[in-house]
Amino acid sequence: MENKQSSSPASFVDSTVVPGDVVLDLSSMTNQTIKLGGGLRQDCDAISAMKAGTLRFSKPNKYWIESSQKRYVPCVEDTILGIVVDSKADNFLIDIKGPAMGFLPVLAFEGGTRRNIPKFEVGTLLYLRVVKANFGMNPELSCTDASGKAAEFGPLKDGYMFETSTGLSRKLLSSPTCPVLEALGKKLSFEIAVGLNGRVWVNAASPDTIVVVANAIMNSESLSGAQQIIMLYDLMDSLVVVLLRETKK
Amino acid sequence: MEEAVEMVTPGEVLGKATDLKAGKGAYAASHNNTIYASLTGFRRIQAPPPASHDKRPTVEVTGHKAHGLVPEPGSVVIARVTKVMARTASADIMCVGPKSVREKFTGIIRQQDVRATEIDKVDMHLSFRPGDIVRAVVLSLGDARAYYLSTAKNELGVVSAESSAGATMVPISWTEMQCPLTGQIELRKVAKVVN
Repeated sequence: MENKQSSSPASFVDSTVVPGDVVLDLSSMTNQTIKLGGGLRQDCDAISAMKAGTLRFSKPNKYWIESSQKRYVPCVEDTILGIVVDSKADNFLIDIKGPAMGFLPVLAFEGGTRRNIPKFEVGTLLYLRVVKANFGMNPELSCTDASGKAAEFGPLKDGYMFETSTGLSRKLLSSPTCPVLEALGKKLSFEIAVGLNGRVWVNAASPDTIVVVANAIMNSESLSGAQQIIMLYDLMDSLVVVLLRETKK
Repeated sequence: MEEAVEMVTPGEVLGKATDLKAGKGAYAASHNNTIYASLTGFRRIQAPPPASHDKRPTVEVTGHKAHGLVPEPGSVVIARVTKVMARTASADIMCVGPKSVREKFTGIIRQQDVRATEIDKVDMHLSFRPGDIVRAVVLSLGDARAYYLSTAKNELGVVSAESSAGATMVPISWTEMQCPLTGQIELRKVAKVVN
């Protein structure tokens, strides 16, 4: 019986790990600095996984675990879509699909002063940036970028918002542009905002377009690039049929 | 000091305000100049200090069992941090001075009371974490919910803290503590250990 115990660090990269797997052994690695990203924990010399997912490595020294969930764990500098739940004296309480409500300070807007505090109704959808996300504290959000400019952050009017997994949100925001969005953009004109917390907002001139874009994105999660294109053409054929039917009336 | 082992209950008359001064556990009613007890305990009379102008002895009521300690403004307390928020940290007061308390008191450390310098740049998360043991001084009785505590002195701040790996950390400077297992440095407002 052969014992295939090749526990060299490279063997776990890009493979699926489950919580408890020791993915790296520091005593066998030479004097180097490693950066541990999300999902990894250090126990003296062993690095073990805390999340189920794929172990990723990026040069020169970053390791992290990538996984797709419905629930979002707030991370600094993420751009997310939040829904206003309540407004207090100093902050708005925002639901960000995470373990705790986010706090959006009333002054965290471009040119925000005590005199022009925006009034958001409960249920307003906002495009926000995470400023502080510490364990145990409510995350702090902002409607400006790091330099204080508005930069597209703020309330999103009209359109349609739907929820996805965090993995799909990351795919939609990856560069080069993911095949679904590229193919959709060639044929249709629409506006889209993707939140890394698993929310996507789409707006277009006609409701038919919005529905096609939303369905295309939701269907594309488990499909490969080529399959996504095929799925898209099927969807858009039915859209063309609907439009022709409308014009004949 | 004259000691009497007379047991009194709240509301009992202890004497006249013309003869006695109300001390701890007693109060003087203004409408009829009588001193009443406000606690259950033993009535004690203390002779007046020779330097004062007032020649009346002080009557006080001390508890018949040792009352738990209560934090007073100015006393140094040991507290465990329970919650850290954007501008405040909540802590459960465990000891007042050298003695432990019998019941739970809550304290709040506000952002401006964490340290003495640059108080508007304080990041609460880099000063305290939930579970830290801190030495603080009571500023005031605060509001109905909590005492106000302050760590704005060199010898006040985090006394003992656990790292994310679970080991008790070793203080390195007044802002840093290091985990002995992993070597990671975490930021806290560390109390200066005075030998």
